[in-house]
Amino acid sequence: MAGVAPVAPPVTVGHVILDAVTWRPFGRREPVLHDVSLALEPGERVLLVGPSGSGKSTLLRAIAGLLETADAGELAGSVTIDGHAPGTRAGEVGLVLQEPGAGVVASTVGRDVAFGLENVSVPRADMPAAVAAALGAVGLAKPGDTPTSALSGGETQRLALAGALALRPSVLLLDEPTAMLDPGHAAQVRRSVEGALTAYPITAVVVEHVLGPWVDLVDRLLVLDDDGTLVADGPVHKVLRDERARLLDMGIWVPGAPPPAPLAPAALAAAPQSSRTQEVTATPMVIDRTVRLVDGSTRTRTAATLDVPLTPLPTSATALVGPSGSGKSTVLLALAGALDPVQGSVTVGETPVADLSTTELASRVGWVPQWSSSTLVGRTVLDEVLVASRALGEESPERVTLAHALLADLGLGHLEGADPRELSGGEQRRLAIASAVLHRPPLLLADEPTVGQDRHTWAAVVGLLAAYREAGGAVVVSTHDAALIDRAHTVVELDAPPAAPIEEEPRRVLAAQAGPLALLLGALVAIPAGIIPGHWHTSLGVLAVQALLAVVALWSGPGRGPRPTGRAKRVLVRMLPGLLGALSVGWSTWLLGGHDTTTAVTAALRVLIIVLPSAVLLPLVDPDRLGDHLAQRLGMPSRPVVALAAALQRVHTFGEVWSEISLARRVRGLGIDRRRPVALVRDLATVTFGLLVRTLRMAADLAVAMDARGFATASRRTWFAAAPWGRADTLVTLGALVPVLAAVLLT
Amino acid sequence: MAAHTDTSATADASTGASSAGTTATPGSTRTRSILATRPLLGWRTVDILTIAFLGAALGIAFWGWGVFYNGPLSAITFGFAPLGGLFAGPWFLAGVVGGLVVRRPGAALFCEVVAALVSMIPGTEWGATTLVSGIVQGLGTEIAFALLGYRAFGIAAAMLAGALAGPFAAAYESFTWIQDWSLAWKVAYAGVLALSGAVVAGAGGWLLTRALAVAGALGAFPPGQEHRETRAV
Repeated sequence: MAGVAPVAPPVTVGHVILDAVTWRPFGRREPVLHDVSLALEPGERVLLVGPSGSGKSTLLRAIAGLLETADAGELAGSVTIDGHAPGTRAGEVGLVLQEPGAGVVASTVGRDVAFGLENVSVPRADMPAAVAAALGAVGLAKPGDTPTSALSGGETQRLALAGALALRPSVLLLDEPTAMLDPGHAAQVRRSVEGALTAYPITAVVVEHVLGPWVDLVDRLLVLDDDGTLVADGPVHKVLRDERARLLDMGIWVPGAPPPAPLAPAALAAAPQSSRTQEVTATPMVIDRTVRLVDGSTRTRTAATLDVPLTPLPTSATALVGPSGSGKSTVLLALAGALDPVQGSVTVGETPVADLSTTELASRVGWVPQWSSSTLVGRTVLDEVLVASRALGEESPERVTLAHALLADLGLGHLEGADPRELSGGEQRRLAIASAVLHRPPLLLADEPTVGQDRHTWAAVVGLLAAYREAGGAVVVSTHDAALIDRAHTVVELDAPPAAPIEEEPRRVLAAQAGPLALLLGALVAIPAGIIPGHWHTSLGVLAVQALLAVVALWSGPGRGPRPTGRAKRVLVRMLPGLLGALSVGWSTWLLGGHDTTTAVTAALRVLIIVLPSAVLLPLVDPDRLGDHLAQRLGMPSRPVVALAAALQRVHTFGEVWSEISLARRVRGLGIDRRRPVALVRDLATVTFGLLVRTLRMAADLAVAMDARGFATASRRTWFAAAPWGRADTLVTLGALVPVLAAVLLT
Repeated sequence: MAAHTDTSATADASTGASSAGTTATPGSTRTRSILATRPLLGWRTVDILTIAFLGAALGIAFWGWGVFYNGPLSAITFGFAPLGGLFAGPWFLAGVVGGLVVRRPGAALFCEVVAALVSMIPGTEWGATTLVSGIVQGLGTEIAFALLGYRAFGIAAAMLAGALAGPFAAAYESFTWIQDWSLAWKVAYAGVLALSGAVVAGAGGWLLTRALAVAGALGAFPPGQEHRETRAV
């Protein structure tokens, strides 16, 4: 299997038939899909459109046979592919999700593409060629060991495409694959799709709501309406011509139609002028972001460089533009005081924004986050809009009237009593905008406010921003939306900060040559070594042996590169909690074990013996290799092990989610108040809760992506990476046994 | 948002100390719990991933709680371990929540072990024994759900599950940290852990699960369905 097949074989598979499919998720009164029947010929390329909430993604999941993977509901009708149920062959239907990264399974590019191959038990030796062919077909020329976290959004989408293609699907489904990308990356993804469909001429269905760029790539256009009924179906140009009025009426971005005129909102026009003045200013700045890895270490990189000062004046509109990864969101976060620049400053008068109290901040800044779903606070939509007003003590009948009007302007009036968590992504974004402006802060920071909006809601959002500005507000948006950029007075172009120079990796320590299992075992063997000694004399002897072994284990290993630094300090820092634990155990033992000092000291030393090897060995465990070893060496069941590995490689993103939720609360006057311990605990619990909700969404999305790649039936699978037991593993294990032996002998 | 807080739960724990033995028994569950789809051992992908991700997120929370537990809390309890045990309940939370959400054999154990593993890697007071503790505590919780035949997932079942982790944890610790205590104190310690487990992990875990369902995050699971049905009435 080398590169791209030179001659496309005739397409004979990928015949999709939907017969009267109706799907009602539990908890909804009306079905999301309504009696949908259609037939797709092998190799046909189809574009599927409809207003937001019309069930486009749901229809894709129905074709993939994944409706019941992450949702529960009532399904009627039938779906077949080539005469059988979808997914009969693992990977038969490839699926690329809207959010880049939602389907990333592994920590490296090669491994991620190979995920489906592992699930269908392809022998390890055959994987590299298949992986290279799939990466070649999407034009992603990256070495297999490139970390998936180092890819841009567009590259991540192409990675997902390659992962689907590796399984030789007969149907490919793309769910708004470019909706969250900047124009450059979106074009790359479309070229990849085109190239891939040339190399693998299979049936393809693309969902998008901006049709223009896709029209020439497809043969046929399907239109779903509001209630999930198929209302138009035919050759793409014909449907566009015949149904133009209906498509525009649905709010679909029909190619060639100019952007709609912004709607003048009733709410803000009638509202009194805000008495607050805009004071937030930023000097040119450099902003770093730090990621905390699962092993506790951190990695810092420059995330954004702002070359010009930013003083958003009242009634002005500023657009931050630049490719994905250029730090637009990061600059907004700094303006909101969530990130402290390493060079330059963001201040209100003389005070850094980061030092403002949560209510001071809320009265000055409104912020629309990129992900609003995990930052929701209210029980109803109306509650949600009023959060900041309440925190500022400004809730009044007038304010509530204004809230009604604002929600009506943004097309959310009929949802006032609904639970905000049940709104669609586009609706949640509009709600976030309403929540950010209702209390009339003088500065509004909006991260991609128009993403996911149809023509109607776009007009409402853009109209609202304009009215807010005309009433004396200052607006700063980050956006890829050309029509929105056209409306800005100032456009600030951000360039992606240069990649940090690659420093030579320091040599690894001796014990780091061992695999995760030997390291874990080495740490666990310390338990008997701690328990056996009955007198502190023995314990001290054992501890001395351990200290000696620790020095050996942390000795710098062979190879080139600088010697690793800070080894002793790291161990000491990790031992600090252990020392406290030893004190506490010793004290409790003295108190509850007959006031005997000898026993107490022995008990305290026992803690140190048990914890010391952990402090030395556990930081060396590579979480990415843990799964391989647990499954292949210990024979643990594959599916839970893979799930564990997938979760471990996402743990480092939890910190980012956490800070985003904290900021969203702080900007709305609900921030953590360190001076009041009770409130502090409550706030921490609430933010943790937000993190859990987001984590569960990640898991649900990933489940869909993994099942599309054959994971549901992968109880027996092969593994991309071997998990050998080497000499270092034996040595670490033997070394860890020495203190046990010492304990026995000394006793 | 109805996320439970540790302060309120532990305040309950100190006032309700006398009822330790009775709160843990599974009373008659008036409303029957909705069960996982059959076969019970037929784990769906979303079940496995949800447990792994829940465990990982709670593991990070465990780590944070550990910092607090080890520092300020030790100072408050004056290093008096049985008193500190009142605050050990949060460690059993992952098992209870995992069991309540997925409702399949192994869910509680798996979730608790993942949480222990994730909290262990950044470095904790107890090093690699954190993993052993996780296995032991998860077993206690799992056994409670198993005793109820994986049929009861109300607040009483949750409290039993949280409580049972306590004696398991104490039994394990009596080989390691509390070896030299007098038997009476060991038994008292097990009781304190069970109480804290019942209130913080059990009742707290039940509230947390319900809050997650209300937040719409458990659509694919029985608690999500229970929430929808309460609204339908």
